Amino acid sequence: MFRDLREFLAKLEENGQLVRIKDSIYPEPTIREIGRAATDLPNGPAVIMDNIKGMKDMKVALNVHGSWANIALMMGLDKNTTVQDQFFNFLEAWDKYPGEIKNIDSAKAPCHEVIVKDNINLFEHIPLFRINKWDAACFLSKACVITKDPDEPDNFDTQNVGTYRMQVIGKDQICIQALGFHDIARHITHAEEQNKPLPIAIALGNDPVLTFMASTPVNYDLSEYKYAAAINGIPMELTKALTCNLDIPANAEFVIEGEVQPRVRVPEGPFGEFPGTYSGMRLQSVIKVKSISYRKNPIFENLFMGRPWTEIDYLMGLNTCVPLYKQLKETMPEVHSVNAMYQHGLTTIVSTRNRFGGYAKSVAFRVASTPHGISYCKNIILVDEDVDPFNLEQVMWSLSTRVRAEKDVIVIQNTPGMPLDATSYPAGMGNKFIVDATMPTAPDGLLRDSKLIDNPNSKPFEKVIADLQKAALGK
Amino acid sequence: MKCVRCLKDTAGLLTKAPDGSGAWEMYACSRCNFTWRNTEEDDVIKPELREKSFQFTQEPEDLQILVPIPALRK
Ligand SMILES: [Zn+2]
Repeated sequence: MFRDLREFLAKLEENGQLVRIKDSIYPEPTIREIGRAATDLPNGPAVIMDNIKGMKDMKVALNVHGSWANIALMMGLDKNTTVQDQFFNFLEAWDKYPGEIKNIDSAKAPCHEVIVKDNINLFEHIPLFRINKWDAACFLSKACVITKDPDEPDNFDTQNVGTYRMQVIGKDQICIQALGFHDIARHITHAEEQNKPLPIAIALGNDPVLTFMASTPVNYDLSEYKYAAAINGIPMELTKALTCNLDIPANAEFVIEGEVQPRVRVPEGPFGEFPGTYSGMRLQSVIKVKSISYRKNPIFENLFMGRPWTEIDYLMGLNTCVPLYKQLKETMPEVHSVNAMYQHGLTTIVSTRNRFGGYAKSVAFRVASTPHGISYCKNIILVDEDVDPFNLEQVMWSLSTRVRAEKDVIVIQNTPGMPLDATSYPAGMGNKFIVDATMPTAPDGLLRDSKLIDNPNSKPFEKVIADLQKAALGK
Repeated sequence: MKCVRCLKDTAGLLTKAPDGSGAWEMYACSRCNFTWRNTEEDDVIKPELREKSFQFTQEPEDLQILVPIPALRK
């Protein structure tokens, strides 16, 4: 659907989901204030700022994925599509893997319109800014980072495209946070075992689906590029990097190329992170930049991350749900949908048919034993299949009318936990809290008044009333 | 010059506003990798006003390493 960021921004603008701030602003603190405001508004729009002091003719885009309306438009849906319908749409697109790759000649690739290889100073080309007040420096928070396993330089599918936080520490030096379980950590380790620099490319301002897939946990040997093509419904256009053998998105706004220095670690952080708290300082790997290239009139897209919810929660919401759903569905076809949008699934709501008395609790045990759920899913709520787990009013209705505390609430102590979760103690240990809010079924004892009120055939009138409402506004 | 976060004399000019307007200057510390712009809020760029918990008082080499440096292959 969208070959690049620009096509998506045009789509957002057509739908009233993009605004431009023309006022002259200082990078700090104003950019973060604007980012916070955009994400707090209902159906928050993307925002472009192009009048930043000291950065004439440079553009910053924030909140591009920062509302359900924007995510729906990215999937080619109407901007008012419910989140559950967006989830089902994403599931369907996910199964179209692999999509097609199209290679573009490097000299014709838009991302190579302007090339800088000498006297590199990132600040001369990119309008960098401090995202949160106590961050250590300017961070790139929404980049697609591309690396290959140095042991398999010709394997396209293990080439990794991921989003990692990166701290700009100099004119041509960037720290990158790799965690032990990240795919990129494997590539860095293999290069360091041979004392070799690891070629790396950082693509900023990409088509929205590639950015979305770069933050989705996909299996190590599946290609994020092919997933992006499948979900986007058009071939993924790639070109060769200027300084190494990496495949990079041909239509990126900026591409920074460089090398991860082997066996070097430097201070990085703090940085305001996804749980809504700052993560501390650590020693991390460092990249030496060798080239920067960009399109004419480039747009610097970055992500504001604050106390949830902010853009990252929209960006990572559905792509945490889908892998979990796939794993449950393999053995439990009764599962209807999964809402694991709360801090990567620390709280997860599953709607399922309660096939026989107590069955929903077995679904919870399965959630707690999926690869993702083992450490992440600590609060697990079960609702019936006719309850939309993305509709919290319906979930609260289920809790209010179907939970018998003595039978339906379970705490399993001393299980694995998620170390970044502040309640995990010692870090890595936790508990499972299960609430079964499904309607009890035989042979379990049934609820006293359990005959539901029938829903009348109201759908056709929704359109009639909505049209009348629009007409009333028009007067 | 003195770093506003680690207070050591290890900082210097990093860059100036790229449009030549002189709207701001940016500084960087080569020891703790903190950077700041001279136009930021006072409680970010004045050491005496910064929140104590965000000052850097350790030695850099004492920080935790998240991805350990592996042994070299034979
Ligand atoms: Zn310092």
